Amino acid sequence: MTENLSTYENAFRRYIKYCLYLLSICVLGWAVTSYKQVFLGLVLGIAVSMYNVWSMHRRIDRVGQAVTEGKKVKTMGSLSRLMTAGLAVLIATRFPEHFNLIAVVVGLLMIYLIMLIDFYFASK
Amino acid sequence: MNLIAAAIAVGLAAIGAGVGNGLIVGRTVEGIARQPQLRGTLQTTMFIGIALVEALPIIGVVIAFIVLGG
Repeated sequence: MTENLSTYENAFRRYIKYCLYLLSICVLGWAVTSYKQVFLGLVLGIAVSMYNVWSMHRRIDRVGQAVTEGKKVKTMGSLSRLMTAGLAVLIATRFPEHFNLIAVVVGLLMIYLIMLIDFYFASK
Repeated sequence: MNLIAAAIAVGLAAIGAGVGNGLIVGRTVEGIARQPQLRGTLQTTMFIGIALVEALPIIGVVIAFIVLGG
């Protein structure tokens, strides 16, 4: 059972690892290139999506534990995740001189792309 | 008019996400309750499923905020 659970933890750590790689590339792009708004927007979006995935991971783990122990879980935290995405967009619209809005949206959806690619290669 | 557009975008996306999340979580809970030793595998599948289901309402919220802000 411990080995089985570690596949779940390993998957989550892999996603976070790829996200951090991507984040470091974006920070490098922000520092080196002249597309500062685009890369700063990507950094904001990826950071928020990392928080979203961490929150999802914690909630799902709690659900699994509650089921095995016969307890109840009140919420999955979907609303807070949606609101953090909204907060990122609000920040981008409030400070358009620092953040590119399209880049923020692309960064928000980057973790799902990473998960899809990882799932494809893991299931191959 | 912008307010109605934002409300419809978020509302419809939330309905879809609610139904999808309910199906995924329900089946996973059923599976874990039947076979607790498969908890890790089922949770991984649930993780990916919920992430893919929640991508759409996130886009909906983003569109709503863009419509409201612009």
